[in-house]
Amino acid sequence: MSDAVLLDINDKIATLTINRPDARNAMSVEILEAMHKAVDSLADTQTSVLVITGAGRAFCAGMDLKAVLIELSGDPAMGERLLTSLAELTLKIRKLDQVTLASVNGAAIGGGCGLTCVCDVTVTHADAKLGFPEVDLGICPAVIAPWVVKKLGAGVARKAMLMGGVMSGQQAFHIGLVDQLAPDRDGLETLTHQIADRLASGGPKALSATKSLLNKLDGSLEESLVMQGAQLSASVLATPEAQSALAARMKQ
Amino acid sequence: MIQTERQDEVVILSLARPEKRNAMLPEMLDTLHHAIESNNSARAIVLLGLGKVFCAGFDLKACAADSSGGTMRSLLSGLSGCVRAMRECDAPIVLGVHGAAVAGGCALLGGADVVLADRDAKLGYPVTLIGVSPVVSAPFMLAAMRPGVVRTRQLDPDLIGAARAYEIGMVHELVESSEQVRERAIEIGITLANKPGHGCRTTKRWLNAICDVSDERIKTGLEGSLSLTGGDEERERLAALWG
Repeated sequence: MSDAVLLDINDKIATLTINRPDARNAMSVEILEAMHKAVDSLADTQTSVLVITGAGRAFCAGMDLKAVLIELSGDPAMGERLLTSLAELTLKIRKLDQVTLASVNGAAIGGGCGLTCVCDVTVTHADAKLGFPEVDLGICPAVIAPWVVKKLGAGVARKAMLMGGVMSGQQAFHIGLVDQLAPDRDGLETLTHQIADRLASGGPKALSATKSLLNKLDGSLEESLVMQGAQLSASVLATPEAQSALAARMKQ
Repeated sequence: MIQTERQDEVVILSLARPEKRNAMLPEMLDTLHHAIESNNSARAIVLLGLGKVFCAGFDLKACAADSSGGTMRSLLSGLSGCVRAMRECDAPIVLGVHGAAVAGGCALLGGADVVLADRDAKLGYPVTLIGVSPVVSAPFMLAAMRPGVVRTRQLDPDLIGAARAYEIGMVHELVESSEQVRERAIEIGITLANKPGHGCRTTKRWLNAICDVSDERIKTGLEGSLSLTGGDEERERLAALWG
């Protein structure tokens, strides 16, 4: 396995760390493949909680702009491949028996923020940056929208995704994007351990049964919606409007 | 009854019966419906009210004066059509509440993408008090808020403050005073208008698709409210209000 993702197993708690700190853990083909592998491997463990976090200062900066900018990648199909892989990964994470806890150590942007919404519980600290700036870049967060709507409720999700931009951990906590807030970055590690231990204290069967029922009740098993979202995001991503906005962002 | 202005690429529509707290008449809702549809290709739409409050709801004096119940029926159908047109409009819609958004005025929130209000504004659906059911707006509220919250707000005739409305997701942003609502709403409208258009419109359409308010639900809600119209309870309570 590459070191793009680290998977640490400690008794009942697995911790997946996205490990490309110099690229703010942006989702490249390599990262997504490594995440798929790590998540698949949990089936062979006795864990009941999965913590997802990022190495370095960011949690995950979203899609790797270098990969989705056609003039740089030279591959017009790359965007669709990445988005499909992200869609499949989110569906896989949602269906895990393990309860998932996103520990947002720093920026969680776009697809990275969508990744937190698919998790069962999200914690961060007041100064983290979260949000969905896709529309600012002429792209469309359709692939993650089903998870954002389930996390925030449709009205608040609509505002967050149409207005774009990013918000602080504090604001994210206010709108329900984050479930618990550590006072600062250092406090987040302690809080994450506390919550992971508390979650792991539940009976594994009771936890996975509850999770699977909640998935049925809230429409999380409607895979076609997420896959269709990936296609829609990919089609908008390929437009000249989006490509030129992304190119302008890369130059900054 | 609807005032239209433009600022940059934003279309600003205002309910314009300030002397009646922008109480809705069937013609006002028809005009609003038309204005929303004809500005479908605008980059953003801002909806405001002139005068002291955003909107006090249906013009109940006009309803009471029409013993056939026809005015109330037209208002209910017109309201349902307006909210639906707002939702289906390609342009993102910002709605600014200053002072109060009551009953039919509050129902307009169901069609907006971004709602802001001043901290002291009052919002709610006190219409069961006059024998009217607010269920016409339930399909839109259910597509935006938690079901438990919708139930409470539909059945409890109390008005709530904007701060509470913010907590339950009815309002998305608060400003300190009612004088700031217009300026901030237009500012948000300009922010939206400056975003790349295709991505923004596609995002709104996709959000509509995944949180579908089906025609059937809209019809059920409207018929629920219409079924009481012209009945004894409503007639007596309206008459008591204006008699």
